[in-house]
Amino acid sequence: MASSAKPQRPTYYEELIQKGYSRRDFMKFTTMIAAYLGLESSGVAQITEALMTKSRLPVIWLHFQECTCCSESFIRSSHPIVADIILDKISLDYTETLMAASGHQAEAAMHKTMTDYPGEYVLCVEGSVPVDADGAYCCIGGKSAVDILQEAAAGAKAIIAWGSCACNGCVQAAKPNPTGATPIHKLVKGKPIIKVPGCPPIGEVMAGVLVHVVTFGRIPELDRIGRPKAFYSKRVHDSCYRRPFYDAGLFVESFDDENARKGYCLYKVGCKGPTTYNACGVTKWNNGTSYPIQSGHGCIGCSEENFWDNGPFYRRLSSFPGFGIESTADKIGTIAAGVTAAGIAAHAIGTNIMKKKIIQSHIQEGRSGAKELDIEK
Amino acid sequence: MSSRIVVDPITRIEGHLRVEANIEGGKVTDAYSSGTMVRLIERILQGRDPRDAWAFVGRVCGVCTTVHSLASCRAVEDALDIVIPPDAELVRNLMYCAQYMHDHVVHFYHLHAMDWVDVVDALNADPKKTSEIAQAISNWPKSSPGYFSDLQKRVKGFVASGQLGIFANGYWGHTAYKLPPEINLIGLAHYLEALEWQKEIVKVHAIFGGKNPHPNYLVGGMACSIGLDDVSVINAERLAYVGQLLEDGKRFIEQVYIPDLMAIAPYYLDWGAIGGGLGNYLVYGDLPTNGYRDESSFKFPSGVILNKNINDIQEVDLREDAQVKEFIGRSWYEYSGGDGAGLHPWAGETKLNYTGPKPPYEHLDVEQKYSYLKTPRWRGHAMEVGPLARVLVGYARGREDFKEVVDRALSTLNVPVTALFSTLGRTAARGLESILVAGWAQEFYDALITNIRNGDVRMAETTNFDPKTWPKEAKGVGHTEAPRGALAHWIVIEDQKIKNYQLVVPTTWNASPRDPEGKRSAYESALLDTPVANDEQPLEILRTIHSFDPCMACAVH
Amino acid sequence: MKNKVLRRVYVWERPVRLYHWLNALVIVALCITGYLIGAPLAIQSNAEASHSYWFGIVRFIHFLAAYLFFFNFIFRIYWGFVGNKYANWKNFVPTSKAFFKEMWDVIRIDIFLKRNREHLAVGHNALAGFIYFLTFIAFAIQCLTGGGLYAAMSDGWLPALFAWVPGVFGNDQTLRMVHHITMWFFIVFAIIHVYLVFYHDFVEGRGEMSSMGGGWKFIEEEVFHKHKA
Ligand code: HEM
Ligand code: HEM
Ligand code: NFV
Ligand code: SF4
Ligand code: SF4
Ligand code: F3S
Ligand SMILES: [Mg+2]
Repeated sequence: MASSAKPQRPTYYEELIQKGYSRRDFMKFTTMIAAYLGLESSGVAQITEALMTKSRLPVIWLHFQECTCCSESFIRSSHPIVADIILDKISLDYTETLMAASGHQAEAAMHKTMTDYPGEYVLCVEGSVPVDADGAYCCIGGKSAVDILQEAAAGAKAIIAWGSCACNGCVQAAKPNPTGATPIHKLVKGKPIIKVPGCPPIGEVMAGVLVHVVTFGRIPELDRIGRPKAFYSKRVHDSCYRRPFYDAGLFVESFDDENARKGYCLYKVGCKGPTTYNACGVTKWNNGTSYPIQSGHGCIGCSEENFWDNGPFYRRLSSFPGFGIESTADKIGTIAAGVTAAGIAAHAIGTNIMKKKIIQSHIQEGRSGAKELDIEK
Repeated sequence: MSSRIVVDPITRIEGHLRVEANIEGGKVTDAYSSGTMVRLIERILQGRDPRDAWAFVGRVCGVCTTVHSLASCRAVEDALDIVIPPDAELVRNLMYCAQYMHDHVVHFYHLHAMDWVDVVDALNADPKKTSEIAQAISNWPKSSPGYFSDLQKRVKGFVASGQLGIFANGYWGHTAYKLPPEINLIGLAHYLEALEWQKEIVKVHAIFGGKNPHPNYLVGGMACSIGLDDVSVINAERLAYVGQLLEDGKRFIEQVYIPDLMAIAPYYLDWGAIGGGLGNYLVYGDLPTNGYRDESSFKFPSGVILNKNINDIQEVDLREDAQVKEFIGRSWYEYSGGDGAGLHPWAGETKLNYTGPKPPYEHLDVEQKYSYLKTPRWRGHAMEVGPLARVLVGYARGREDFKEVVDRALSTLNVPVTALFSTLGRTAARGLESILVAGWAQEFYDALITNIRNGDVRMAETTNFDPKTWPKEAKGVGHTEAPRGALAHWIVIEDQKIKNYQLVVPTTWNASPRDPEGKRSAYESALLDTPVANDEQPLEILRTIHSFDPCMACAVH
Repeated sequence: MKNKVLRRVYVWERPVRLYHWLNALVIVALCITGYLIGAPLAIQSNAEASHSYWFGIVRFIHFLAAYLFFFNFIFRIYWGFVGNKYANWKNFVPTSKAFFKEMWDVIRIDIFLKRNREHLAVGHNALAGFIYFLTFIAFAIQCLTGGGLYAAMSDGWLPALFAWVPGVFGNDQTLRMVHHITMWFFIVFAIIHVYLVFYHDFVEGRGEMSSMGGGWKFIEEEVFHKHKA
C-alpha cells in the first residue's frame, strides 16, 4: 500500500543539501557539534550518522482516565526492550509518566511536536475520556481531556488506542458509567485508529504494534473492529494449552480442587477464554512467562468490550440483566419451564371443567357414530 | 512580592496532579494540591459480586498493581470469615515483595532520579573516572570505562539527533543540580539498566498471578494451585524460577539502587532539612508471618507517630468509628450530612459534585473545593503515610532489622535521625525498606518451599466461596501497606452483593486538599518553605512532591 | 344430537411434515447438547485428556445438528412461498386486522377457556401462527448467534458468512448469552406446543395429532366452506 507509506521526512543532511550547503559544510558542522558535545574524534562518525538517518517517529502519548498500567505494561516489553524503542525507534515526545519536563515545559514539548511534524506523528492514547460535566472529570493543565484529544488528534498521522480504557472505556465505563467515560473511536473521526485492547495489553503486543508502524511504515492490518489481526484474530480458547482438557470434558469444579492441581480446563469456574480475542495463549505475558490460565485463574475477558458488565467472573454465564447477581439464564429458564408446566397442568384441569360440554358432545358424537356403524352392520 | 505558580501536569508520577503554589522570596509560602481526574470506582462497585471486587479495584492503579486486589480480598475474607491457607499467604507475601522491589526501583530511577541527576551534564563525564567511582561504590559488574564510554556515545548521538524525546525541555543546567558529571552518568546508565531490570522482577506476578500488570487474585487464597507432579501448574520449575527472580532482584537493589542512593545523597544533604511537613506518621502494617489475623507477626509493624515523637507510638484500629474518617469539605463531592461531616468508611458516601471552574481554566478557586481527592484524617489529624512512616514506626518500635539499616545509613551519611523528617529522608527510607523487603522475600520463599516439602499444598479455602453460604449482611475491612503507604478497603455486603465499598488510599492521605478546619495534608504542608530558584522551572517543587511518589489514580479512584 | 359432517382436508404437505419432524428432532438435540455446552457434567476422572473427547463429541453433535437445522429452516422459508396456503408465510406474519381479531378469539376461547365455545381454523389458528412466527424469529436469532460463534472456530464458508455478527452484539460473551437464553424459549415453546397439539386434538377431535403424520385433518363442512369463500 504505497499510499499509506510513511511520508519521507528529509534528514538534517538532506535538508542542508537542499539549502545549498555542500557535503564538506556538513562534515564541518558535525565536527563542530562533536566538539561542542565534548566528543572524541570517533564520535564524529556517530553524529554524522545520526544526522544522515531520518528522524525517529515522533510519538505523543496522552493519558486520560487510566490506571497507567498500559504504560507499565509497555515498559515490560522484552522484544524489543523499551530503552531501545525510545532511544532508537521512536521519539517519545510527550508522556506524563516518563518525561522530564513538567507543567508548561511539558505542554510546550507536545506543541512543538504538533507544529514540527503535522500529519507525521503518531498519537497514542491511554485511558478513556469523560464527556460529562463539560469534561471537568479529567483536566490536564486546566484543559479538558476532550479538548486535548481533539487538538492532538487533528494533526496525527494515526492514533493508537492503548488498552481497554481507550478502546472501550474499561472499568470506569462499567455500569453506571458515572463520568461518561468514552472510548477514543467515538470521539475522533476521520483518522486511522488502531485499537489495542486488554487490561492492559501485553507489553510485547504494544511494542509489536509500534515496531510494525516504524519498520513497515504503515499501520498493521486491522480486523473488523479495528484491532491488529496479528494479535487479536484468535480467541484465548483457541490457543489455550488447556484446550485438550476442555475437549475431553475435564474441568476444574472449584478452585484448588484435585482437578485444579492437575491443570484441567477452567471453563466451569468462569473462564471467558472462549469469548475473548487476545494473544495470551501464544505470546503470553512478561516475555512468555505465563498467562492467567496457566496460573490457574480463568480469563476474565479483559480485552473484550464490556467485560466488566459481563461478569460475574466465577461463572460461565453472565448475570441475567435486571435480576440478582446469582441469577443465571439457566435459573430463570428453569423457573420459566416450571411455571409453564404448572400452567399447563392448571389449563388441562380447567379444560376438563370449562369445556366439559364440548368434550361431552364430541364423546356423544363418537358414540352415536359408533351406534350408526353398528346399525349399518 | 508573592507570585502564584501552577505546575500542571506534574509528570513522572502516576496520574493527574496539579499544584498551585505561592512563591515569595524564593520560597513556597503556601501550596494547594489537586487531583484532576476521577472515575468513581467506588460507585461502580455497588451491586456487584464481592468476589469480583479485587479485579475492579485492581484497576484503580496499574503502577502499584496488586495492592488493591490484596486489600480487597482481605476485606471480603474478613467479612465472610475466611482464613486463607498458609501457602496462599506466602504467595501473596512474595507477590507483595516483588511489587515493592519493582515499584521502588522504578520510582527511584524513572520517576525521581531526574530531579537530582542532570542527564545532559552526564555527557561531560569522564568514562574512566566514572568507572572508578562505580567500582568504588559497588561490585556491580557493568562498570568498565568502556561500558560508560559506549553509553555516553549512544546518548551523544541521541542528543545530536535533535529529537530529545522524554528528555526534551527538562530542567538541565538548573542551579539546584549538584552532582558531578560522573555520578550523573552513573545515574543515567542505571536509569537504562533499571528499565531493563524492572520487567524481570514482576515475573513473580506472572508466575503466581498469570500476568503483570494486574495479576489475578482470588477470594479465599490464590488460584495458582501447586502440583509438583504436573506440568501445567506450580511445580519445581516454576518455584525455581521465582527463587531466581527474587535473588536477581535483591542483587540489583543491593548493588545498584542502594549504592546509587548513597552516592547521590551526600550532594543533597541540605534536603535533609527541607520538605518534612506534618511530622505525623501512620502505618497499618503488613507481611504476616503467622497469618493475616495475627498482627503481631507482621514484618511491617503498625502504629501512629504524632509530632515526630518517636517515643510514643499509638495503636491503629480500622474498625473504630472515631479513628479513620474522610472529609469532603474541600473536595468535589457531597455528603448527605453536609460539607462539615466526616464519615467512617463503612458509612462512607461517594457522590460527585463538581463545583470548580469550567475548563479551560487558569486557576482553581482554592478557597472553595479544589480536588477530587477526599481528605482522610486519623482522630482528626492529618497523617503522612509511606516508606518514611513505615521505617520510622519500625525504628521507633525498636525492631532490630529496621534499626540496623537505618543506623547504618545515618552513620554513612553522617546525619542525625532528625534528617529523616524531610524530602531526602523520604527518598532514603524507600531505599532502606527495599533492602528489608528483598531480604524478607528470601525468608518467605524458604517458608513456602518448606511447607510444600512438608506436604501442605493448599492454596485456596473455598468452603465459603459459594454466596449461598454467606450471611444476609456482612462487613469487612482489609488493609495492607502499599508501596506508597497505608491502604485499606471497607466493604459492606448485603444480599450477596456489594452495598458499599470504600477505599482510603495512601496518596489520598498525602495529597488530599485541606480538611474543613483548614488543616493541610502532607503534600501541602511539605511544600511550605521549599526553595524555588526559578519560578519558570519548578524543579524543587518536583523534588518534594516526587519524594512521596504520587499516585493520583489511586488517590481519587 | 346431530352429528357434525367432517371433511378430510390435506393440510400439511409431505415437505412440511418432513421439515417438521426433522426440525423437532434437531431442536431437541440442539437443546440437550447446547445445555451441556453451557453447563458440562462434572466428570471427576483421572483420565488424561488424550484418552477422552466427550465434550468435543457433544459440541460436534451440536454443530452437526446446527447445520441440519439451518438448512431445514432455509427450506421452510422457501416453502412458505411455494407451498400450499396452510404453509404460506401469510399464516404467520400478522398482516391484517382480522389476524389480530382471530388471535384475540383464540386467546379468549382456548387460553382463558371461555366456557363451551370452540374456535375452529383449518390450518393454524392465528395465535398458533403468530407463535410460530416468533419461533421463526427465534430460529433466525439462533442461526445468527450460533453462526457468529461458530465463525470464530471454523474456516468454512458458511460460518464465515456470519463473521459480522459478533460485532453487532459488541462482544462474543453477549452473543453466547443471547444464544443461551434463546434455548429456553425453545424449551418453553416445545412444552406448550406439544400440550396444545394434544389439547386441540382432545377438545376439537379433528385429528390434530396425526395431521403431522399423514397430513390430513378433519374439518367441519361449514368451516370448510367458510374458509373457501
Ligand atoms: C434451536 C437451536 C439452538 C439451540 C437451542 C442452541 C443452544 C445452545 C446452547 C445452550 C449453547 C451453550 C451456550 C453457552 O452456554 O455459552 C450453544 C452453544 C453453541 N451453539 Fe447453539 N443452539 C442452537 C442452534 C445453533 C446453531 C444454528 C448454531 C450454528 C452454527 C449453533 C452454534 C453454537 C455454537 C458455535 C456454540 C458454542 C459452542 C462452543 O463454544 O463450544 N447453535 N448452543
Ligand atoms: C409430539 C410432538 C409433536 C407433535 C405431535 C407436533 C405436531 C404439530 C402440529 C399438528 C403442527 C401444526 C400446528 C397447528 O396446526 O397449529 C405443528 C407445527 C409446528 N411444530 Fe410441532 N409437533 C410436535 C413437536 C414439535 C417440536 C418438538 C417442535 C420444535 C420445537 C415443533 C415445532 C413446530 C413448528 C415450528 C410448527 C410450525 C410448522 C410450520 O408450519 O412450519 N413441534 N406441530
Ligand atoms: N497511593 C497509592 Fe497506590 C500505592 N502504593 C495504592 O494503594 O499507587 Ni498506584
Ligand atoms: S486498560 Fe486497564 S490496564 Fe490500561 S489503563 Fe485502563 S485500566 Fe489500566
Ligand atoms: S481454560 Fe479457558 S481458554 Fe483454556 S480451554 Fe478451558 S475454557 Fe478454553
Ligand atoms: S483476562 Fe486478559 S490477559 Fe488474557 S487470558 Fe484473558 S485476555
Ligand atoms: Mg475512597
